[in-house]
Amino acid sequence: MATLTIDGREVTVEPGTTVIEAVRRLGADVPHYCWHPGLSVAGNCRICLVEVEGMPTVQISCNLGVRDGMVVHTQSEKARQARQDVMELLLINHPLDCPICDQAGECKLQEYSFDFGTDGSRFDFPKVHKPKHVRFSEKVVFDAERCILCTRCVRFLDEVAGKDELDIINRGDRNEIAVARGDELTSDYQMNIVDVCPVGALTSTDFRFKSRVWFLKQTRSVCAGCSRGCNVTVGSRWNRVLRLVPAENQAVNKWWMCDDGRFTYRDVGADDRLGAPMVRKNGRLVEVSWDEALAAAAEGLGNAGKDLTAVVSARLTNEELHLAQTILDHVGAGERGYRARDFAKDDMLRTGDGNPNAAGAELMGLTPFTTDLPGAKHVFLCGDGVEQNEDLSSAAFVLVADCRESQTILEFATVVLPSVTAFEKRGSFTNVDGRIQRVEPSVRAPGSALEDWKLLGRLLAKLTGDAAPTSADSVLKSMGATRPAFEGLSLGRLGPLGKSTATATAAANGEAQ
Amino acid sequence: MAYVKVKRRELTFAERMYLPAILKGLSHTFKHFVGAGGRAGVTMQYPEEKWELPNFYRGVPALVKDEDGREKCVACSLCEFVCPPRAISIIPQEIEGVVEKAPEVFDIDMLRCIFCGYCEEVCPEEAIFMSKEYEICGTSREELVYGKSKLYEIGLTLGDDGGVTDATKKWERLAREQSEQGVDTHQGADTE
Repeated sequence: MATLTIDGREVTVEPGTTVIEAVRRLGADVPHYCWHPGLSVAGNCRICLVEVEGMPTVQISCNLGVRDGMVVHTQSEKARQARQDVMELLLINHPLDCPICDQAGECKLQEYSFDFGTDGSRFDFPKVHKPKHVRFSEKVVFDAERCILCTRCVRFLDEVAGKDELDIINRGDRNEIAVARGDELTSDYQMNIVDVCPVGALTSTDFRFKSRVWFLKQTRSVCAGCSRGCNVTVGSRWNRVLRLVPAENQAVNKWWMCDDGRFTYRDVGADDRLGAPMVRKNGRLVEVSWDEALAAAAEGLGNAGKDLTAVVSARLTNEELHLAQTILDHVGAGERGYRARDFAKDDMLRTGDGNPNAAGAELMGLTPFTTDLPGAKHVFLCGDGVEQNEDLSSAAFVLVADCRESQTILEFATVVLPSVTAFEKRGSFTNVDGRIQRVEPSVRAPGSALEDWKLLGRLLAKLTGDAAPTSADSVLKSMGATRPAFEGLSLGRLGPLGKSTATATAAANGEAQ
Repeated sequence: MAYVKVKRRELTFAERMYLPAILKGLSHTFKHFVGAGGRAGVTMQYPEEKWELPNFYRGVPALVKDEDGREKCVACSLCEFVCPPRAISIIPQEIEGVVEKAPEVFDIDMLRCIFCGYCEEVCPEEAIFMSKEYEICGTSREELVYGKSKLYEIGLTLGDDGGVTDATKKWERLAREQSEQGVDTHQGADTE
């Protein structure tokens, strides 16, 4: 172990640690562009300069290994002056693009300029111009003028995504990042380069010019695209989700997420969202009050009894699955299970399972559905009415709780309860590794649609006569009594990173139950 | 609490008679009536007659275009951000050309605007100015949300020295330097 002194504070770290890591261990930071904790050290941006006693010149802290007894100054006059000089060099050819640049507001050049840049430029010559609108693929646009050549994007694609598709071409001040001539980026993780880019050189075509980032409401949640449960920061405005970016969670997705996951928000603003409860009267679906719809649903479920066939979606949260199971137990439903959903699969993040809470469904005792629905007399489609366009014409009663309209609903539903997407509710998902993570709402649901836990809670209250649960948290707290994997948990206790329970892990691996 | 009892002054005989005071007042009115001396009086004949407004007057914020008719606003949304009553709402869009961005929608709710001038102050493109327009009227709330075309229309009242002149010529210089250096600004792998 090596003990070094950084700005007067001692820290002991393992040999082989770099100075910047040691500084961060103390909760402080050194400015950096090219260094990224998830990528190899490049040492080319030179902004992380620190002063080390006994060394004649300032050193880059990202590529300097610690030594026992080392004395480092990150804030000394010499270090600050050196960084200011580096900033001046970086800005020589940087365009004054901030008003039209999407990165403004989360740009490291802006931040460090503010911290220790100079207020003017001493450079009197025309700036070197480069292509400003280069299409890297249909998802990513490149602006060569803004690029500071930190090579984070090059290293990400090579080291993390395993696709060595970018490199630097030309020499000197003509340096540019480029894809091979005639090629486009093909990686399914390419949009991460937009996130790792410390400046506005790489922008996402999807989010480009939609909104300035400082207007976004940032909500930490979990991606509902597959069972990995990547942590995300949802950016929303005007009650619309505008983008998803990964949030760091070392136990799940580290700093990354896949491109497919980023587009899952598009369902939220779909045109066919359900906004009002409906009951079929004289062959036509008519909008009714929640009370009437829930009464009709409860009556139908009560009549069905053990003849009820229920498809419970594994896209529901743990709390909702628990409520659904409680309802089905109360009714005494015979057939029940969840639908398997396919998703892309690779050896990085994507699991191939499109159900974000399949592990949770297994924990609740639900198994993939094998029975055919056609022929069933009484059907309850709980959160999964969209993609199943089966012929339910023989069913006397079809209850659907879902967020989007579908052929099934239009043709066969007896009672329709409008629910919400994962972006509009609070709860928890259990991911493929048995980690229970918190989902937070970022936008409001359309019309009078209710969160699934709320509508299932009210439906249960209608059936049992008990009081409906007041929050998803109260459901999670109470379900621990009967479901050991969730014992002692609350949404608050899950924290931003979630919790892995031994029971949950074992169950997800098929060892328990 | 201690208090002082103030003795009221006794009214004089003339004051008690009431009429002299009335006559004194009327004589004052009459003096003004006659003393106007042919002038129409002190009332300004608005709206035929209007105030000469000083240059620092802050009326309705207005948008301007440059000499070439290019919208100067690039939808950076700083005015939207700085606006204390949140009167401004902008939806940006991507456009072709050197300046990649422009407002698709630029609305100012004149019922909200407090004419503080922060938008003019913060604008990095010198695209929004406080005009001398102060007549804001309409018959509905919607009518008083001024859209882009209305704001440009008001901008025309600013005159030539009212912000239309682009002293920095930042974008023009960018385009010129790009062509001098032979830079192909729009590249796409599909066009190679």
